[in-house]
Amino acid sequence: MTPASETAGRPDARAKLHGAVRYGTDLESPGMLWGALVPAPRPSGAVRRLDLSAARALPGVVAIGPDDLDRLLPPAYRSAERPLFAAASIDYGFQPIAAVAAPTRAAARAAAEAVRATVDPAPVVADVESIFPDWPGPEAVGSPHVAAHVHAVRGDVDAAFRDADRVVRETYRTASVHQVALEPHACLARVDGDRWTVRTSTQSPFGTREDLATMLGLPESAIEVAGTWVGGGFGGKGAPLLEPYALLLARASGRPVRLALDYAEEFRLGRTTLPAVVRMETAVRDGTISGRRVRLLLDVGAALPGRDFATGYSIGFLLGPYRTPTFEVEGFGVRTHKPPFGPHRAPFAPQCAFVVESHLDHVAREVGLDPEAFRAAHLWREGEATPLGQPVGPFGLAAAFERARATARAWRAAAPPGHGVGVAGGFWSTGTGAGGELRLRLAPSEVVLEVGEREIGSGSVVAGLRAVAVRVLGLPADRIRVESLGTAEAPFDSGVFGSRTVAVLGRAIEAAAAELRSILAARLGAGGPVEFGIDGERIHVRADPAGGRIDRPLADLLTPDERGEGGVVVVGKHYGRGGTIDESLVRAGTFYGYTDFTGAAHVAEVAVDRATGAVRVVRYTAFQDVGTLVDPPAARAQVEGGIAMGLGTALTEEAIWSDDGRLLNPGLLDYRIPTFGEVPPIEVEFLEGFPGAGPFGAKGLGEPPIIPVPAAIALAVREACGAHATELPVTAERTARALKLL
Amino acid sequence: MTGGPIALRVNGVERRASDVPASERLLDTLRWRFDLKGTKEGCRTGGCGACTVLVDGESTLSCLTLTHEVDGRAVATIEAGGESPTMERVRAAFVAEGALQCGYCTPGFVVALTGLLEERGRAASRDEMLEALAGNLCRCTGYAAIGRAVERLRAEAP
Amino acid sequence: MVEFDLVAPRSADEAFAALRAAAPDGAAVLAGGTDLLPDVDEGRQRPRVVVSLRHLPWRTLDWAGPSLTIGSTLPLRALEQDPDLVRRFPGLAEAIRDVGSVALRHRATLGGNVVRAAPTSDLVPVLLALDAEVEIVGPRGTRRLPVDRFVRASRRVDLGPEELVRAVWFPEARPSAYRWQRVRPANDISQVAVAAACSPADRRWRIAVGGVAPRPVRIPSAAEALGAGAPTAAAVARAARAAADAVAFPTDRRASADYRRHLVATLVERVVDAVVRAEGFPR
Repeated sequence: MTPASETAGRPDARAKLHGAVRYGTDLESPGMLWGALVPAPRPSGAVRRLDLSAARALPGVVAIGPDDLDRLLPPAYRSAERPLFAAASIDYGFQPIAAVAAPTRAAARAAAEAVRATVDPAPVVADVESIFPDWPGPEAVGSPHVAAHVHAVRGDVDAAFRDADRVVRETYRTASVHQVALEPHACLARVDGDRWTVRTSTQSPFGTREDLATMLGLPESAIEVAGTWVGGGFGGKGAPLLEPYALLLARASGRPVRLALDYAEEFRLGRTTLPAVVRMETAVRDGTISGRRVRLLLDVGAALPGRDFATGYSIGFLLGPYRTPTFEVEGFGVRTHKPPFGPHRAPFAPQCAFVVESHLDHVAREVGLDPEAFRAAHLWREGEATPLGQPVGPFGLAAAFERARATARAWRAAAPPGHGVGVAGGFWSTGTGAGGELRLRLAPSEVVLEVGEREIGSGSVVAGLRAVAVRVLGLPADRIRVESLGTAEAPFDSGVFGSRTVAVLGRAIEAAAAELRSILAARLGAGGPVEFGIDGERIHVRADPAGGRIDRPLADLLTPDERGEGGVVVVGKHYGRGGTIDESLVRAGTFYGYTDFTGAAHVAEVAVDRATGAVRVVRYTAFQDVGTLVDPPAARAQVEGGIAMGLGTALTEEAIWSDDGRLLNPGLLDYRIPTFGEVPPIEVEFLEGFPGAGPFGAKGLGEPPIIPVPAAIALAVREACGAHATELPVTAERTARALKLL
Repeated sequence: MTGGPIALRVNGVERRASDVPASERLLDTLRWRFDLKGTKEGCRTGGCGACTVLVDGESTLSCLTLTHEVDGRAVATIEAGGESPTMERVRAAFVAEGALQCGYCTPGFVVALTGLLEERGRAASRDEMLEALAGNLCRCTGYAAIGRAVERLRAEAP
Repeated sequence: MVEFDLVAPRSADEAFAALRAAAPDGAAVLAGGTDLLPDVDEGRQRPRVVVSLRHLPWRTLDWAGPSLTIGSTLPLRALEQDPDLVRRFPGLAEAIRDVGSVALRHRATLGGNVVRAAPTSDLVPVLLALDAEVEIVGPRGTRRLPVDRFVRASRRVDLGPEELVRAVWFPEARPSAYRWQRVRPANDISQVAVAAACSPADRRWRIAVGGVAPRPVRIPSAAEALGAGAPTAAAVARAARAAADAVAFPTDRRASADYRRHLVATLVERVVDAVVRAEGFPR
């Protein structure tokens, strides 16, 4: 526990409660133009003719298309993997084919509508099953429909299935879900000579700069990306989306250009979790899993071939966290005419947990075993190897699962008719990204942590890093401040994603503090451990060498240079590594190891309306393996928020496409995230003592809480009414069908 | 008329604009003419509540309100200061319970709750407060900490 | 973004003149604006002139014996907070509270809802069950029309280009109820909804169904099946079946026709049960 951070609260609360922080959507600049994207009128085909003349004839309008890129960009832009504007091949609906800027928002919209395009239509691939109604054969590998193929085998799977007492086969389907950050994407770009600058609501300023350099053919040194306060990210703001177009329009117009999505565009252009079909086969012998086959058809939208991380990473979550002596796992990332698959809080892991938990629960029922005891008995334990051959590190899942089962027993004893209780586990691994650095400035009266990340909501940047510094330096929270800088001034960091901020930059704080202590120990002549303290406003440096206690104000220890810089400045770095798997098992594609092993087990109680199939979640408890709790209020808030988001994935959220590739519900009325009334009372318990990759053994916590939610709710529904859900979301209509009411 | 002048009393201050188009929304007038950007633009279709302001004390979706329709009336936004003691109470409850994360929905929640508490006085029940927030979407908090802030406001009532 | 002229007449006559002046393109009428403005933004309506009713003195609530007249521009929020209305027209109060959010209901009006006549309206079914009539004013005088005849099809009503709905009239307070099914309980559009009322005068039932194409409809066969006053369980089951059989349900992204048909039967049972337990139910 860290009492100092508890009492300090969020440093950004007051400003946010007075409307005083500025997000991407708030950006403006004198002389600015408003930008708008011109969408492809169909999800597939070729743009035969693009006529910008009517748009350009409007007062103050700048319009650009593919033909303008040669004059706006250096030739290197042509080596980017995807053209900036769709021309010869439209990859998905509403893909930009041109862009406009005008003096007002209304004028920009009118200009976009004035662009005329003639498109030669081509067939639309709306979903994976229209391409592979059965299962892809060997010819599928290398087909233009396949962006990724992963395949791994261990042991004699055929023998395991041949010798099994029982084999259970099922097919599951999961839906596309959107991040729905309340703030739409927005940025403001300007180009001055060869300086390309963009302020943007992003989870990753450095990642955005790197991608922009590739897309625009510019050196990274010519680009500056500065963040804003971010109105929610959840993975959707990790890579450039609008920034290249805003920069091009700024270049073409010579003016600052603001570009923001409206909320319908947010749904149509956002990159997120797409639908999937999963086939699960499990062989059981003597009450134990003896073999598994897992097959995944993942819709990866317009993903570029070879650039699909999703298929290889997610397929591990379809195997684990359960022991199996033999297995065969194969996944195809299938291209469709949707925007490319993109990260959404623990990308595709909640869907995987739903499939794995529901399937193994079903297997246990089929062979007459207690479903929860069956799963518990197969959970990975520390020291054994994962199916892919990586040794399992400290892992709190089995302990969390036992706690969850105990809670479930108590709830079942008190549950009224029509209620059901579900228990589900899930696992995750703290992300490392490409590593990260942080500049620590120890000034006479405060500590400033300078980072290249912006706060996206969880508090990991403004409060989490501060909490780590409180613990590492022993100084109170009100003396520690986090300052976010753009790529021009900040030390490198990968960004806020993968639950990595506190883990990676927290370790960077530890490294910086160690260097700081050794510098100051030398100046004190102490030779031993150095501590920090406060005397009034001033930071003191203390040591207790054998010769007696030394206690000096920091100000007295600064060199003249440091006085000029405002304090002692050190840079802490942390470049973590993922785990290693047994590559001899891999037959195709890339599989990934884990940095650490984070478990979560959740219990849901639901009430099912047996006449309509409607589900209401009555109460919910989460047991989260956190390694070490760094900032308790923020940790609780992460879990509560993750559960509510998972509840939407479980019950109501679903992006629906028509057979001709149109998104039918691009709005917040028909794409239904949970409202206040649907979220039940939530209890959160943390399990410490299973250390992870972060400082003091902390584990990332942004993503793990969402993972078990759809599974826990679906299993509770099954217990309440007998409806076995094999499809997400578990809508009332699907449950009614499972109950054979229709 | 295609447009014309408007006058609003925003957070106790007279604000005027000379040539506001008939189609302009209160949301845009506040944000782009008066630089009161605390009122957030979310969906612009009345589906998220991020743009909620008070018009003569009533919570109102500023994205679905023509500025001219509220000409001459009193508007309160998240930038309101000491002239709204109710809003100060709501803010204090949000701080105490950590009832915000990214903060984008926060102005809408604070303003909607302020409107209800002003409309109902201290008699506002928990259910009424939750009903008043049913149109405000939050993606970060899962509403849990906001619910605790509501409990705190309820407990503070005499 | 569509630009338009905005006029805010001070009297009904001024309003008729404004509507006439806008011909032949026609004008859009603005009450609360919560439907009109999204329609304008999404290009479903492109008015050249918008006539605002904000200055007209129609924000009224008048009781006359058992009957009630609700001015067309009174915000829904004022209705749901009127204790007499909540007690005497429970079904209407329930339906109003199911429209959008509190902030939306501070501006949305009963008149606006009935004139827009969305097939998914949460209010039209209750108006049908309560035998409500709209009071229409125009340059040639005033006329009154039952809602069942006023609402003709999806977003089509019997209203001349220079006419306005001034009020909605309810002949009598009735024990009534409204039940719906939605994917998400709050801030969503009903997949199917059922309103029911039982007249204290003749003890007869009215059942109406919403969420069906092309508009909410009354189901006389279901009302008939219920008989007079408190129905037997068998009568309720017959009414539920009658309602399910009487309507051609649509399949769309919110629900399939099969599911809607199933829901209607269930909701009829529930809504009748609620009416029977309402204050003043004629035994």
